[in-house]
Amino acid sequence: MLRHVLRRLVQMIPLLLGITILSFLIIQLSPGDFLAEIRLNPVVSQETVDQMRANFGLDRPLHIQYLRWLGNILRGDFGYSFAFQVPVLWLIKSRLLNTLLLSVTSLIIAWLIAIPIGIHAATHQYSPSDNLLSFTAYVGISTPTFFSGLLLLYGAFRTGWLPIGGMTSLDYDLFPWYGKVLDVAQHLVIPASVLAFLTVAGLMRQMRGNLLEVLRQDYVKTARAKGLSGRIVIYKHAVRNAINPLITIFGLELGGLLGGAAILENVVSWPGLGQLILDSVVRKDLYVVMASLVFGGVTLVVGNLIADLLLAVSDPRIRYD
Amino acid sequence: MQRKTPFLIALTAVILVAVVGAPGLTAAPKLTLPDMPNPKVIAYPHEVGKYGGVHVRAQITDPRTFNIIVAQETSSTDILANIFDGLVEQNYITGEIEPALAESWTVSKDGRTWVFALRQGVTWFDGKPVTADDVVFTFQAIFTEGVQTSSRDTLTFDGKPLRFRKLDDRRVEFRTEKPIGTFLRVIGASIVPRHKLAEALAKGPAEFNRTWGVNTPPREIIGTGPFVMQEYVPGQRVTFLRNTKYWKVDKAGNRLPYLTRYVRLIVPNLDALRLKFLAKETDVYAARPREFSEFKQMERAQNFTIYDGPETFSSEFVVLNQNPAGVKPPKLAWFQDQRFRRAINHAIDRATIANQIYAGRATPAWGPMSVGNKLYYNDKLPQYEYNLARAEQLLAEAGYRKGSDGFLRDAQGNIVEFTLSTNAENNDRVAMGNILRQDWTKLGIKVNYAPEAFNTLVGKLTGTFNWDAIIIGLTGGIEPVTGKNVWLSSGSLHMWWPKQEKAATPWEEEINRLFSQAENEVAQDKRKQFYLRWQQIVAEQVPIHYFSYPKTQPAVRNTMGNVTPIGLQGAIQPIDTLYYKQVLR
Repeated sequence: MLRHVLRRLVQMIPLLLGITILSFLIIQLSPGDFLAEIRLNPVVSQETVDQMRANFGLDRPLHIQYLRWLGNILRGDFGYSFAFQVPVLWLIKSRLLNTLLLSVTSLIIAWLIAIPIGIHAATHQYSPSDNLLSFTAYVGISTPTFFSGLLLLYGAFRTGWLPIGGMTSLDYDLFPWYGKVLDVAQHLVIPASVLAFLTVAGLMRQMRGNLLEVLRQDYVKTARAKGLSGRIVIYKHAVRNAINPLITIFGLELGGLLGGAAILENVVSWPGLGQLILDSVVRKDLYVVMASLVFGGVTLVVGNLIADLLLAVSDPRIRYD
Repeated sequence: MQRKTPFLIALTAVILVAVVGAPGLTAAPKLTLPDMPNPKVIAYPHEVGKYGGVHVRAQITDPRTFNIIVAQETSSTDILANIFDGLVEQNYITGEIEPALAESWTVSKDGRTWVFALRQGVTWFDGKPVTADDVVFTFQAIFTEGVQTSSRDTLTFDGKPLRFRKLDDRRVEFRTEKPIGTFLRVIGASIVPRHKLAEALAKGPAEFNRTWGVNTPPREIIGTGPFVMQEYVPGQRVTFLRNTKYWKVDKAGNRLPYLTRYVRLIVPNLDALRLKFLAKETDVYAARPREFSEFKQMERAQNFTIYDGPETFSSEFVVLNQNPAGVKPPKLAWFQDQRFRRAINHAIDRATIANQIYAGRATPAWGPMSVGNKLYYNDKLPQYEYNLARAEQLLAEAGYRKGSDGFLRDAQGNIVEFTLSTNAENNDRVAMGNILRQDWTKLGIKVNYAPEAFNTLVGKLTGTFNWDAIIIGLTGGIEPVTGKNVWLSSGSLHMWWPKQEKAATPWEEEINRLFSQAENEVAQDKRKQFYLRWQQIVAEQVPIHYFSYPKTQPAVRNTMGNVTPIGLQGAIQPIDTLYYKQVLR
């Protein structure tokens, strides 16, 4: 098992190299650069722009730029953001927790809801409740997050029940600790439920499908024939088998924890990483984009690894040697 | 040795020349503060306000730096403007230059030597006095090669940098090679504290560019402005507290500002900005032109007033590429043909653009200067009324004929066809392009409309020059010479043909001359004559087809006092004098 983990981690290195080389090339070869806005400023001369290019090292050959960047990150230096002139790591750190708070909360909510209702839908196939759940799931899958986010924001605006976007209130710093928790929780309601709704819809359909599949298996019939109660058949045998594909999905979701909610963050003013990354891509803030890609790549690979390990735990047929 | 004599004469002249500016200071009785003999008394009309209250505004995107010398974009400067001051500042209503950190100044007879006297008793947030050393340091930083600032370009005249030196603790002298007419307008760079930043500058420009980045504890950002930064939460807000040692007083001698706390929320987009205002979370919102009537109806229910503001200084426009390095004949011939440019200018439906994009709240643009710029606007420019028949007639006179297939052909029989582009992110511009294409197509021109990403567009405009026609906009200032990058034929933003070795046409040469004359002309009314002529030339030659100058419509919560009069480009009263009529929060 340990050897397997190590091997997977070693395999990650060429993969990450490939990802970074490709993305570095794509960013650099696509037309325009970070200085586009400044070039269109009537009071800035060509010389000033050229000098900024040189300051940023953008005037050097591509391979040299890449190798310098690679050398630096091996030493833990992710470089400076062009736009902010602060270390990229500081920028990412300033928003990392916010994003994790949002994505982890919604992930937990989603899984807590999706699994039980998936099971319910499968065991009550074609019942009114199953149909209603399926319908809701279709709505959930097909509604883009920016739309449901906007809808809920509008609701909050009309009713005044919830804050309109953001993560904390103006007077956040004056609150006692429980006030702070409550405040953030209030702000979390809209974005977390939007994200959770989307995930629940997908997961629940998966769970339902898998479970139905398993319930048709011979061993389930055998178990039933043997006189085991329906409860035990479903929860002890069927669900256990039906959940395996979901674990793979879980791994993929771990990979999306950092940047997966970029558009929603933008809509509801959540000060997360996704927003930062989106902005950096748009304005070609090279090293911020590169760093986020590295982090995204690592979490994706690690997420998959965790999923595979969990799979081995849940399914004794799977072994890594 | 001979050179010294004129210099000495100049110095004596300094003493003789009268003090310029300072209109409010003549009013009696003279107002003083215990720690400041001569605070600045607000000169624009205002009422005496009440102290207290939390003022909230929102802005799009985070500040990028707290170092005002290197700050470029409004998301940073809008925050830092509350913290730092320049030697002089601009009156928000008239655009005139007024004293700020400098309480007075003198200029030598030859117009080349300026001496500024600092206001006595002004201190940095940490209590240290503001001295001539800070001023000299600021300009040293600006002129340090590698420090990222646009001020260096505006303070370099004919390739010669401004020279400056300290005379004594309170006086600084500036010298230029030639008299600079716009000197006061460009000298207002924010002054920064030497005792905080000298160390960073000594370590080199790269270090200086990174100093006072957004990762600096806000309390370390030391300025002289009305507010002290208290907290910055990335992606959420910046909070300020009142500077109790600010150097401005109201007409009754009360120390400003009135507001106790000031918060700028950071939101990701315009929709959030609007929503925050309508939810009464913010006090001020710069509404878009097409929101005007909608907001007008909500005024009472939402307890705010939306004001009918003047035009902004910048217009969107379409420009045709006249650069031989970018377009080949016959296209080049059409675009370089003044008659062609004038003819298609009659086929730009400015009324429809104003109605569809700005809901009627825009004034047609006939030249490079906005009606909103009361100082220099030329109201006698030739106007190109929307008239397709007239456009066709002019094209025919210039040798362009519409064939039986409906396509326009030039004298050599080439079909007139070109690509029109704009930045796809900007919905307004994309819509303008559609209006333009429809009308130009009616003339028989084959217009291939292809909006592109902003980055790509700028790359073409300033790099490859490989484009035909582009719709875009530029920011404008009060004084056109600050835009010399656009108007000098050698400028890098001289869009239709940048960086010319020698002016390609007589009229471009005349503009070069006018700009150089205007830059060296100290008298504003004489400078105006140069600017009027420049607008006339641009309107006749139409190297750039301007569309319209949109109006401004600031919306402000009725709980605020001292909002009006509305100033240039729709500015409400500066934060110094804003106050809450009833202090609740």
